[in-house]
Amino acid sequence: MTSTRQMIITLFVVAVTCAVVLSFVYAFTEPRIAETQAQLTLSGLKEVITAHEYQEVVPDTLWLALDSSGNRIGVVFRVFPQGYAGPIPITVGLDTEGRITGIRVASAAEGLAETPGLGAKITQPSFTGQFKDRTAGEIGLEQDGGVIQAITAATISSRAVTAGVKKGIEMYGECLAPVCDPGLVFPEADRFIEVIKDTLWRAVSGSDTLGMVFVGIVQGYLDDISFMVGYSADKGITGVTILYSQETEGIGELIRKKEFLEEFKTGRPDAISGATVSSEALINGVFSGIERFRGHAE
Amino acid sequence: MRKLNIFTRGLIKDNAVFVLMIGLCPALATSSTVRDGVGMGLAATFVVVFSNLIISILRKKIPNEVRIPIFILVISTFVTIIDYTMQAFQPDLYRALGVFVPLIVVNCMILGRAEAFASKNPVLDSILDGLGTGLGFTLALAIMGVTREVLGNGTLLGFTVFGESFKNSPVIFMLMSPGAFLVIGVLKALINKYVKKEL
Repeated sequence: MTSTRQMIITLFVVAVTCAVVLSFVYAFTEPRIAETQAQLTLSGLKEVITAHEYQEVVPDTLWLALDSSGNRIGVVFRVFPQGYAGPIPITVGLDTEGRITGIRVASAAEGLAETPGLGAKITQPSFTGQFKDRTAGEIGLEQDGGVIQAITAATISSRAVTAGVKKGIEMYGECLAPVCDPGLVFPEADRFIEVIKDTLWRAVSGSDTLGMVFVGIVQGYLDDISFMVGYSADKGITGVTILYSQETEGIGELIRKKEFLEEFKTGRPDAISGATVSSEALINGVFSGIERFRGHAE
Repeated sequence: MRKLNIFTRGLIKDNAVFVLMIGLCPALATSSTVRDGVGMGLAATFVVVFSNLIISILRKKIPNEVRIPIFILVISTFVTIIDYTMQAFQPDLYRALGVFVPLIVVNCMILGRAEAFASKNPVLDSILDGLGTGLGFTLALAIMGVTREVLGNGTLLGFTVFGESFKNSPVIFMLMSPGAFLVIGVLKALINKYVKKEL
């Protein structure tokens, strides 16, 4: 029989030794793990669009592809549409004209759950190659009126890829314009004078200041919501558009609906029922942004 | 001669997968290709050899009442070491093996050797025992991996075998979970019939 004290001491000494050993192993491998991860991500991005630099906008989701002088030549984004056996991780590259430069479907080793030999064929270049140089409008299976030939016996997986790519372009395509063109929300202005880089512009026609355009960001229900607002001192809001949001599909994402965004032009819209958090976050963000920048509209 | 017996016991006579039928969960899940199977086997070998070594060194110091928590601590330390190292240097393999790397902790083959052998035997014997057990596990996974990869994917270590036409329409079933059960069942039956009697 061992004394309780001896048991505790032995266990304690072993546990502390293990912890010390592991902290050394961690310190030694951690930088290497981070480096390997970064390299894997980078090589994934390079496969879909060739650029000098990739600027991460939304972690692990959205990158801007820049050339050597820092001009935007496209975007890369990741989407995870639901396939036959699980979410399908897809990386998509888009050039500035909204054409797909390439797509890459993650392999089974990277978490693709589709059936080996059937659904998993969506990773093959003969399938992914079909997306190159296409625009959002053309994406779809042939039987759905698009140009993509489905893989035999893997229609669900093939269709999931087309749907994911198409939705991704709709979500992120607007970021292609040089920092989301302020003209989108202030069509009456001839030109825009940037007051704060990528954030605030004065909308000008001839020599008159008509109003302003600003970009804001608020915390939504699931993720940040980034939006752009045009505002004129006389006419009020001239337009609102969502630059980034990733709220609940079919609920919070309703804030992207044209009808809802149009309501801003006539006053303060009501929150969308069922999506109160997302829509109120946006509404408050829009109006507090106007309060904050009002001076620039006059 | 005695030392050789210690080594071959785990390798063949008491092979964890084909004879004792333990550690089957990772054996089924990670043997769809040779590379994954051997990777998993070597990771488990590393853990069983070093945990046997440490436990054998400490065997006289470990109070009987707390031996299991201490075994688990030692084993999980080595599992974490192999987990980090694999993440840093073999990221592709690490992603393929997924959750089964951390799960080596609960592989009863390893705790079994700590309890049944290393806690009662000298250091060198314990190392040999761990090496035999680990390599036996690796061998089993490699055999399953070869069978499943060749039949299910038409390749061996990534190289095409049986020509392109077979590779384009292989027995996909073999790569899926039911295929793993079938392969282990058939291999076990063959071993029982032709090998076991002679051991």
